[in-house]
Amino acid sequence: MNKSTTKKTLFNWDSFLFCVLILEFVVFGLANSKFLMPRVLLASVNDFIAICIIALFVTFVMITGGIDIQAASIVGLTSIIIGVGWQDGGLNIWVAALIAVVAAAFCGALSGFFIAYCGVQSMVVTLGGSFLYAGFALLVSNLSATESYKGISGFPEYFKIISKFKLFGVIPSQLILFFILIIIAYLLLHKSKYGRNVFLVGINQEAAEYSGINTRLVILSTYVLSAVSAAIAGIMLTSYLGTAKSDLGSNLTLNIITAVVLGGTLSTGGKGSAIGTALASLVIGILRFGLPLCFKVNTQYLDIPVGLLLLVVVIGRAIVSRPQTIAFFNKFKK
Amino acid sequence: MTLIKKLTKSREVSSLLFLIVLFLIVGFINFDFLTASNILACFNDSVVFTLLAVGMAFTIFTGEIDVSIGANLGFSATVVGSLLRDGHSWLFAFAVGIAIGALIGLFNGWGVACLKIPSLIFTLGTNGLLRGMIYIYAGGAWVENLPAKFTSYSSKPLLGNLTVYYAVALVAVIAIHFMLTKTKKGKYFIAVGDNAGGATLVGIPAVQTKIWAYVLCGVFAAVASIIYASRIGFVTSIAGNGYEMKAVAACVIGGISLTGGVGSVIGASIGAVIMSSVSRILVFMGFSSDYDNTITGFMLITIVVVDSLMQRHAAEKIRRERLTARATNTATQKGGE
Repeated sequence: MNKSTTKKTLFNWDSFLFCVLILEFVVFGLANSKFLMPRVLLASVNDFIAICIIALFVTFVMITGGIDIQAASIVGLTSIIIGVGWQDGGLNIWVAALIAVVAAAFCGALSGFFIAYCGVQSMVVTLGGSFLYAGFALLVSNLSATESYKGISGFPEYFKIISKFKLFGVIPSQLILFFILIIIAYLLLHKSKYGRNVFLVGINQEAAEYSGINTRLVILSTYVLSAVSAAIAGIMLTSYLGTAKSDLGSNLTLNIITAVVLGGTLSTGGKGSAIGTALASLVIGILRFGLPLCFKVNTQYLDIPVGLLLLVVVIGRAIVSRPQTIAFFNKFKK
Repeated sequence: MTLIKKLTKSREVSSLLFLIVLFLIVGFINFDFLTASNILACFNDSVVFTLLAVGMAFTIFTGEIDVSIGANLGFSATVVGSLLRDGHSWLFAFAVGIAIGALIGLFNGWGVACLKIPSLIFTLGTNGLLRGMIYIYAGGAWVENLPAKFTSYSSKPLLGNLTVYYAVALVAVIAIHFMLTKTKKGKYFIAVGDNAGGATLVGIPAVQTKIWAYVLCGVFAAVASIIYASRIGFVTSIAGNGYEMKAVAACVIGGISLTGGVGSVIGASIGAVIMSSVSRILVFMGFSSDYDNTITGFMLITIVVVDSLMQRHAAEKIRRERLTARATNTATQKGGE
């Protein structure tokens, strides 16, 4: 009994991801010693923090059996609302950020409403949503006196500080935020009643409905959560880059979905973990950072390893779970 | 009478009506829109999307989706363009392009149909992979200096202002429509999407049909890529970016249900015309064509939500009818005893 539980913790997917992460550190570290310099490594977090934050909460959506491809466009929307609200609206930057989060939550709720209450497939709605919210971002950016391609910059120092702050002079604020969000996501998903409802909806929506769970509200809430996380990522990116642009984060979708799937979340719903997604997003982030630094891979090629990773994971998982393969391995066990 | 009833109920007709109403409204705002040459231009410009949407329709009919066709188009266009630029024969270049499209389709079909991987996730991965391969193949550079003879075909009129390309696409769409509705093998696509389990039970090879759908989708993307290269005259490394989403939108606007088993390629091609006219319409109404995607997104969401609500209403109505029928039935039976 005891032996099997230790075996379980040793051979589960999360520890496998952890090993992959360590392996990445070893390989990249050997290829280029600069990679392991704490300053460089910790600064790299800025480049992929958006993937990590959003993937954590897209996990919720995918556990309910849905998918969210609009989160990337909400990042841009948040960014431009902050910029225009601050520069052209004359608002306090924190008020502008708050408005941006509320707007993002509204966008998430709108899509979630169509998916949960009108019964439309999540893929179509979030596809339309990604067009629509990118359009909203464009609309907002046209309200500004600055041309949209230039982006709005010149934010006050106290706004930039939220991404420049370093605890003890080394740990960047993004990492702290990421850890806080991991804890929140973990508690919400695995330790709360809400999280159990999310899983139940993903496993069998009808059974969940009959056991007294307001399944529609649960589904809607997951889209709000992922949109709000996209807004937080948008605020962090805007603060770090110092510019508000409407097309910020437009290339994140593949990375986010890969992180969630790599993290062990079943795309058909009902299975997944916050820790897994967190580890997987770090694997992807380090990959995106390490390849250009250590192997001189052009950053434009980075979709290849990520796409490949996604394909390998889904193909591998499909082959392993095939009845033929299971029978093949059972033969060996005997 | 029955023909009229059938026509008003069919989904292609409602999307055609939508197209006509849309054009009329824009025409009222700006009379210049309703000239024959402009309307023909709307159709001519939609040729790439028409081909993509027809290809996409095959996968959607079977209840799956292929979001890799944008990168497929970009990759095929890059390869075909570079082969033509380097002076290879047209036939060779086209054959290579179509073979690439078919191979990509085969790979997608293998993953989705044989390994049963959710199609959106699998093809999203393929999309990322291909996008990167475009950069590797072309070294990040644009493919330019395509032969003038090749690019001149894009503006060659066949009948009046109708271009050769659109005429070919139109004939292809009609041929495929008949293939899908009149031949045995063609009906498999809809059958598999309508009810995969049932289709398998009556002896339809569901896995093969899905693979065929993906191969055809890839081939159509490759053909679209040749026309794309000819029309634009050069191929950038982000060619076709986001086209997959527009093709899905065209299918949905054309009345194809994403749950599979419902719709026609005629609808998809009408949807493609609506889709590709949006930017032109915006310009005629005095807006920036930047809002192209916004309007598309808005239309997409509106149409699927309305469609879903209507379907639910219809299902509810049928259920109620059945319940009342049963109630009266039992009542009369009791009365009889």
